[in-house]
Amino acid sequence: MASVTVSHVNKSFGEFRALDDVSIEFADGGFYALLGPSGSGKTTLLRQIAGFSFPDSGEILIGGEAVESLPVEKRNIGMMFQNYALFPNMSVFDNVAFGLMVRSTPRHEIKARVGEALELVRLSGYDERKPHQLSGGQRQRVALARAIVFRPRVLLLDEPLSALDKALRLGMQVELKRIQREVGITTIFVTHDQEEALTLSDKVGVLKDGKLLQEGPPRELYERPATAFAATFLGDANLFEGHVEEGELALSDGTRLRATAPLAGVGKATCAVRPEKMAIAEKGEPLRADHNHLEAELQEIIFAGNSLSYLLRRGDIHLRVFAQNRATAELQPGQRVRLTWRVADTIPVEA
Amino acid sequence: MAVSDTERSPTRRRQPSNAKSIVGLTGPAYLWLIVTILLPLAAMLYFSFLSDVPLPGRDWQVTLSNYAAFFQEDFYRTLMLRSLRLGFEVALWCFLIGFPCAYVLAKTIKGRWREALFLMVIIPFWSNALIRVFSWTMVLRGNGMLERLLDWLIPGFGSLNLMFTYEAVVIGLVHSYLPYMILTCYISLSTIDDDLIDAARSMGAGRLTVLRRIILPLSMPGIVAGAVLIFVPVIGSFMEPRILGGREGTFLGTVIEDQFTSVFNWPLGAALSFILLACVLIIFAIFQPILRRAS
Amino acid sequence: MKARPTNMLARIYLGLVLAFLYLPILVMAAMSFNSSQFYMLPIDWTFDWYVKLAHNTRLLESTRNSILVAMVTTVIASVLGTAASIAFFRYEFRFKKVLQAALFPPIAIPWLITGTAMLLFFFWSGIGRGLHAMILGHVALALPYVIIVVSARIKGFDPDLEAAARSLGASPWQVIRHVTLPYLAPGFIAGALFAFAVSFDQFVISYFLSVPGVSTLPVEIYTAIKKGFTPEINAISTLVIAFSITLLVIVSRFYRFGGDR
Repeated sequence: MASVTVSHVNKSFGEFRALDDVSIEFADGGFYALLGPSGSGKTTLLRQIAGFSFPDSGEILIGGEAVESLPVEKRNIGMMFQNYALFPNMSVFDNVAFGLMVRSTPRHEIKARVGEALELVRLSGYDERKPHQLSGGQRQRVALARAIVFRPRVLLLDEPLSALDKALRLGMQVELKRIQREVGITTIFVTHDQEEALTLSDKVGVLKDGKLLQEGPPRELYERPATAFAATFLGDANLFEGHVEEGELALSDGTRLRATAPLAGVGKATCAVRPEKMAIAEKGEPLRADHNHLEAELQEIIFAGNSLSYLLRRGDIHLRVFAQNRATAELQPGQRVRLTWRVADTIPVEA
Repeated sequence: MAVSDTERSPTRRRQPSNAKSIVGLTGPAYLWLIVTILLPLAAMLYFSFLSDVPLPGRDWQVTLSNYAAFFQEDFYRTLMLRSLRLGFEVALWCFLIGFPCAYVLAKTIKGRWREALFLMVIIPFWSNALIRVFSWTMVLRGNGMLERLLDWLIPGFGSLNLMFTYEAVVIGLVHSYLPYMILTCYISLSTIDDDLIDAARSMGAGRLTVLRRIILPLSMPGIVAGAVLIFVPVIGSFMEPRILGGREGTFLGTVIEDQFTSVFNWPLGAALSFILLACVLIIFAIFQPILRRAS
Repeated sequence: MKARPTNMLARIYLGLVLAFLYLPILVMAAMSFNSSQFYMLPIDWTFDWYVKLAHNTRLLESTRNSILVAMVTTVIASVLGTAASIAFFRYEFRFKKVLQAALFPPIAIPWLITGTAMLLFFFWSGIGRGLHAMILGHVALALPYVIIVVSARIKGFDPDLEAAARSLGASPWQVIRHVTLPYLAPGFIAGALFAFAVSFDQFVISYFLSVPGVSTLPVEIYTAIKKGFTPEINAISTLVIAFSITLLVIVSRFYRFGGDR
C-alpha cells in the first residue's frame, strides 16, 4: 500500500485547461473521493494518476516514488472502470487472473489468489461464467476482484457505481466500503454523486473547472462549505446574498442575519444555510437570541412520506426547508410563517 | 491497438493523427484499389475516345465517333431504353414481392424464427448467382417443371415455354435480386417503433391508412435503397439475359460484352460502358440523399 | 399464441417467397440425381453424373483454380482490409470520409463495367490475363466487404478494455495478444469467409480475365451452359451451391447480415 501525492499538476487539451495547478495528498489506506460535475477534471486527474495520460507539468508520487513518466502498466495500480471493461471473451476466473497472469505468477498461486479474491467479493463458484451471463452487480464485483487481486499499491475507481440502479448501488456502496477496509488499500474514487462521495469516503475533494476547490472529511465539507458552489453541489443549500454591515449580513430588504463568526471586510457577501437546519417556528414560540429569524410566505408543501419539503419565498429569495414528518401544526400554502435557525448554521461562503 | 490517450470528458480525443501509421495501414488497400479500379476505369475512358486499340502496329487516332454512334444510331438508343425498362421492371417486381415479405419478417414473426427465416431469405443472395440463374432453365423450359406443375393443377393447360423470353429474364433477375430488397426494407421496417402503428390505430386509422401514411413513408429510405441497388446491376447485366433470354436477351450489357469478347471493338465497348456508368452515376447522384439516410 | 387469420396468411406468403427462392435450386439438385438426360419424371435416381464429374479433368482443373484464387484472395483481402479498418477506428484524419466513400465503387458499379475495364487495362498495361489477374480483381471486390465486416466488429470495441488490461499490468504486446486480437477474431474470420465466398462465386470478373485453358469453375460452368445443358453441370452446380450456402451459414455465425437483432 502506498500514499499518493499530486503536486502542481497541469494538463491542457488544446485551449482547454483540464487541470489547473492541482495538488492533493492521498493518505495511505485512505478512501478518497474526487467529486465534481462533468468537465470538472476529476476523470482527467484520475487518468493522470493511473498513467493513461501524462501531465504537462507537475509531479505525481506513488509511495514516494515519482511516477509521472511511467506508463500505466508499470505503475502497479488497480483500476475499476465505469462500464467495468470486463474482457468479454474470458471467463470470470480468467478476467480476475489476468493481472496475475501478465505478472507471470505461478499457476497454483493464481488459482489460490483468484479464489480468495472471488470469495472476498462473494462470487465464489462463478469462476466459469462469462461476463454476459452476470448481472450488473455481479460484473461490478468481478471488476473489483480483478482490480485488487494482484495487490496493487492504489485502487482507482472511475464512477464505478453509476451504471447500477439505485437499490443495487446502495448495496454495493456498503460492500465496497467493507472490502476497502478489509484490504486496507489506498482508494481514489471519482464520482459526480455527492451522496455517494459523502457515504463512502473519509476524505472528499471537490473539483470545478480543473481546480481543486476544497477538500476535507465529508462531515466538515458538508457543514462548512467554503464556496457557494460546494454548498449547492454537496447537498442542498439556501443562499443569502447581501452586503456586510457591522459584521452581519444585510439583505436587500434590510433584514440582518448573523453568521458563525462576525463577517470580516466590507461589500458583498454570501451565506449558506442547509434546508434541514431551518425550522418553521410554532405560533407563540419565543425568539431565541442565538437564532436568526426570517419571515417568509409558504408556497408549497411537498410530501415525501417520512419527510416534508416546504418551498417558501421572501421577496425574490426562494427558500427550501426540510422537516421530519412529525410537524403538528397544520400549515397551508399562502400562509406567512417565521423561519428560525441557529446562528452557528449560517455559513459565510465565497460566491 | 495500444491504448491511446482517451479522455472521456470534456472532449473525447484520439491520439493526434499519426500520418505514418495511417499511410502504412490504409496504403496497401487503397493502392490495390487504384490499380484495379481507378486506373482501369481511366484507361477505359481513354480508350473510348480512340478509333482502335492503341497497340504498336495499329492505326489509331482520337475520335468522338464511338459516342457519336450511340447518339446517332437508333439501335443503341432502343437498347438503352430496353435495359432501363428491364431495370425498372425488375426493381418494381422486387418491391411488390419483397416489401410484404420484409414486413412479415419485421413485424409479424417474432423471436428465433425471425432470425432463422431472415437468414434463409438473405443467404441465396450471397451464393453463386450464375448457378441460380442456370437453375431456372430447368423450371422454365418447354416441358419443364413450371409447365408440368401448371398442367397438373389445371388439366389441359397446354404448353408454356417461357425459356428464351423477356419474361424469363425478368423472372431470373427478380430471383437474383429479391433478397436485396427484402434486406433493405427489413432494416428500415425494423427501425419503425411498433408504438407508432398502435398510436395511429388508436386515433382511428385503418390498416390501409396506417400503411399509406406511416409505414410506407418511414420505410421509404429502405425501399429506395433497395430499388437503386437492384436497378444498377440489372441495367449492366449480361449473363442472365444470355442464359435465360437467348435471342430475346439483347440488352446494353450483352452488346458491351460482345464488343469485348467476340466483336473485339474495344473502343466502342469502352464508350458504351462509360455511357452505362454515366447512367449509374446519375442514378446514385439523384438518390444520394435517401441512400445516405438508409445507411 | 393464437394464430390470427392475417398471421396465417403472412406465413403462407413468406412460405411462397421462400419457395420462389429455393425451388429452382432444389429442382436442379434433384435433376442432378436423375439418370435421364432429358429430365424425365419420375426421377430415376443415380449417382452417375457425380461419378462422371470425378473424371472431367476440365472441371476439376477449374475447381482447383477457383479454390486457389479464392484462398489467395482471402489472405490478401483480409490482411489489407483489417489493416485499413484498424486505421479507420484508431485515427481521425482529413481524408477518412473520402477513403471510406472510395470503398463504394467496387460494390456499386456493375461488374460488367469493372470487369471490362480490368480486361482492357490489364491487357494494355502488360499485366495480362489469367489467374494472377483474377486475383488482382477479386481482391478489389472483396476488400470493401472485409473492411465493412471488420469495421462493424471493431466499432463495438470498448477502448476501456485495453485501458483495463494495461492497468492490470499488461505490456502493449500482451494487450494486443490477450484482449484486442481475441475480440477482433470473429470479425476477422467473418471477413475472411466473406472474401472467400465473394471470390469463389465470382463469375463476371473471372469471365473477362480468363484465357482459354485457364479459367475458374463459374466460367467453366457458363461455357458449358452455353454449349447446352448437361446433367453433369447440374451435379457440379449442386455441389457449388451447397458449398456456398454452407460457407454463408458459417459466416452468419460470426456476422449478422443487416440489421437483425
